[in-house]
Amino acid sequence: MSVGELDPVIHAPARLRVVATLATLGPGDEMTFPRLQKLLDMTGGNLSTHLRKLEDAEYVAVTKTHEGRKPVTYLALTPAGRRAFEIYTETLRQIVRGATP
Amino acid sequence: MTDDTQDDATLDAAASLALIDAQRATVVQRAEPSPTYLFAVWGLAWVVGYTVMGWGSRTHDGPPGAVAGTAFAVLLVGAGVATGIHIARRSGGVRGPSARAGAMFGWSWFIAFAAVNLVMAGLTQAGANDTVVALGWNALSALVVGMLYLAGGAVWQELTMYLLGAWIVLVGGAATLAGVPGVYTVMAAAGGGGMLLAALVTFALARRRRAQA
Repeated sequence: MSVGELDPVIHAPARLRVVATLATLGPGDEMTFPRLQKLLDMTGGNLSTHLRKLEDAEYVAVTKTHEGRKPVTYLALTPAGRRAFEIYTETLRQIVRGATP
Repeated sequence: MTDDTQDDATLDAAASLALIDAQRATVVQRAEPSPTYLFAVWGLAWVVGYTVMGWGSRTHDGPPGAVAGTAFAVLLVGAGVATGIHIARRSGGVRGPSARAGAMFGWSWFIAFAAVNLVMAGLTQAGANDTVVALGWNALSALVVGMLYLAGGAVWQELTMYLLGAWIVLVGGAATLAGVPGVYTVMAAAGGGGMLLAALVTFALARRRRAQA
């Protein structure tokens, strides 16, 4: 087991933090873009870039809707994204365990 | 050579795990309501409010007068507003089943207290004297608060909240036996005191969790 086997979509600091934050949501829950941005202290442009990569990998579902007249974007992990994050953290733990006899 | 790459990999994996933990801690701190804050706000409102009510009923030699009653109401409304603002700030920007559950739980308080109002209006209409009305208000309110804490603690698996609910239900029941003004002394000390103790417990538990992470 090595770092090379880790999911490259998740294994980047910014995207890892995005996924870790969305993973705290309960099943079926979604978070708005500004709320996620605030919890991550990231710029909007930076967050958008990473979200696009996660969306392309089908790890994050993006729902665009309107609340009143204001457009709102909701984000959540897809089941595949949640599974990928679980496998990712499990792999990390195995690497760490393997290194300390 | 192999050992070197192994070391790098290990550091990287450990750093990644630390990053996940740190981000989780940030979410807990900023996006989850703080039980410590809420128990402390309500504990203070109860300790001060019930002490004022006890004082009010001793000076009147009967149920508390309008001044004590108003002060108590202002304290409770203040604690309610503080609770609403805190929860709205922490849980804003999230929709889905857990947001719906939280909203339904919030409305349960208003619905239950509307029912308490109706029952007490009915008992007053039926000729209950001031002391009975005062004791009834207190007992039913404590029952509602305690039962909702029991329900919330059970659903969200918050043991401290559950135990506090059990305590408040029993204290509210037993306090009725103390009569007026004793009921207020019991509610201030055991009820408000119990909430402040729960605040201390959740504070200590959160600190231990942070230290272990």
